[in-house]
Amino acid sequence: MRIKDKHIIIPFLTPGILITFFFIVVPLFLAIRFSFYHMESYISPPKFVGLENYFRLFQEPAFWNALKNGFIYCLLSIALQVFFGIGIALILNEAFKGKAFIRGLTLLPYILPTVVVALTWQWMLDGNIGIITHAADKLGFGKVNWLETPTLAMLTVIVVSVWTWTPFVTTCFLAALQTIPLDLTDAAKVDGTTSWQRFIYITLPILKPILVIIILLRGIWMFNKFDIIWIMTKGGPLGATEHFPILTYQKAFQTYDIGGGTTVATISFLILLIIVLIYLKIFPVEK
Amino acid sequence: MAKKDSSVKKIVVYSLVVLIAIYSFFPIYWMFISSFRAYRALFSSNSLIPGPFSLKSYENLLSLTKYLINFKNSVWVACITTVITLICSILMSYVITRYQIRGKQFILNSMLFTYMFPPLLLAVPLYFIFTKMGFTDTLWGLIVAHTTITLPLGVWLLWGFFKAMPFELEEAAMVDGASRIKAFFLVVLPLSLPGILTVAIFSFLLSWTDYTFGLIIISSDINKTLPVGLATMLGAHDLNWGEIMAGAFLITVPLLLILTFLSRYFVKGLTAGAMKG
Repeated sequence: MRIKDKHIIIPFLTPGILITFFFIVVPLFLAIRFSFYHMESYISPPKFVGLENYFRLFQEPAFWNALKNGFIYCLLSIALQVFFGIGIALILNEAFKGKAFIRGLTLLPYILPTVVVALTWQWMLDGNIGIITHAADKLGFGKVNWLETPTLAMLTVIVVSVWTWTPFVTTCFLAALQTIPLDLTDAAKVDGTTSWQRFIYITLPILKPILVIIILLRGIWMFNKFDIIWIMTKGGPLGATEHFPILTYQKAFQTYDIGGGTTVATISFLILLIIVLIYLKIFPVEK
Repeated sequence: MAKKDSSVKKIVVYSLVVLIAIYSFFPIYWMFISSFRAYRALFSSNSLIPGPFSLKSYENLLSLTKYLINFKNSVWVACITTVITLICSILMSYVITRYQIRGKQFILNSMLFTYMFPPLLLAVPLYFIFTKMGFTDTLWGLIVAHTTITLPLGVWLLWGFFKAMPFELEEAAMVDGASRIKAFFLVVLPLSLPGILTVAIFSFLLSWTDYTFGLIIISSDINKTLPVGLATMLGAHDLNWGEIMAGAFLITVPLLLILTFLSRYFVKGLTAGAMKG
């Protein structure tokens, strides 16, 4: 029965396959191919240069700076998202009135367009009249230029990223918390355990598989994140928040070093791939 | 003793919940009241209480900028992207779950694989291809670019959905004499409405909120979508923060409506990793 009517296979598959092939598969190979070419614009003929783009890149301080910044941004923002995400999920899992409403409220930062998040925070952090600058001034820190001081700019971008992407961790963790059988924690309660012990010995081990996936997804997305940093700092000041995606954009669309840009993107993709493979080796994801 | 303990716990829980609510909502609240605050007060007052009330920011935004055109572009791009995504992903995932196809696992794996792509790795060659096709700075180019994100997602979500749906239902219809196509339209599609709705919501969301592809593909002001249009207004026009916040709030409205009325589908898709961000 299921084998019948085979004639629908081709027409049903074709549109999706065509889009996937021409606009995902072909571009991927083109990008890798471009990294071996010298191109000064999107219309001039490419010139094959072998590995020159790669050698040139490894000699640029900007490349190593971007690598370093990428890891700082990625690791710090993931760690904070997971920490706050789990913390908030545990609190929201307690009994209190208006639960559904509060859960909806905590989701809001996640569904806001990145542009809205970036612009709203830029307004709150405005060096003269922003509400946060004002509060910091009142607390005796003076008028802080959040996005114009190198180290502070990186921290600010991380804080804003944590604010907007933590709800993903919260929501996933909260959904997973509901799957823990109640009698398990009840039995442990009768045995006189503290809530901290129950969290470490019951909740965490049960939720480890889901946590492994959450961290993997967040890691991949944070590593590739472009828009929030671009809108808030353009990679500045002095390259302090410049990471691989920013460097790719600057090369490919501002200085029109298309070979260089695709080289950065290719290397970035390879690094991510290696990290993901190692991660999956250490924490195998169960099907 | 136990009673006292639990009331202390209650106080702690409630104060933490309030803290979390303020932390999550304050920036949005601040955006909202700034957009309605009179021009003078915006720069002199940091009062947390709304007012003095004024619609000037909205008037300026709509009369001095191309915001309405950008809004129209965004609606068009997001709707067409959603329609294309739905058609392609429904057909594809249906066939993948119901037939033995060579390369099925390959298709599914590559859909998951695209999750890892840096958007810019795709954007640079896409821009090159669009240059050849004359697609740069067009809304169709942007729609195609958005589809590269939404299609894999749709196939992935619907594959899980169709897989969980019993074959017997459509087979019963076919035993009764319906053709495969008829069974598909009359039995499968209506039953999979929740899954289809989830894909529709997230395709719309991803397209509506996209900044990166819009920035790269669109160059002229009249073709910009809302996120790109608003971000460029900050530097280019003589605008103040009130107008920017008004624009930001208007972009957010459709999302708030979706979250309010379709939150069930929303949370379901979210935990399946549908946002890609």
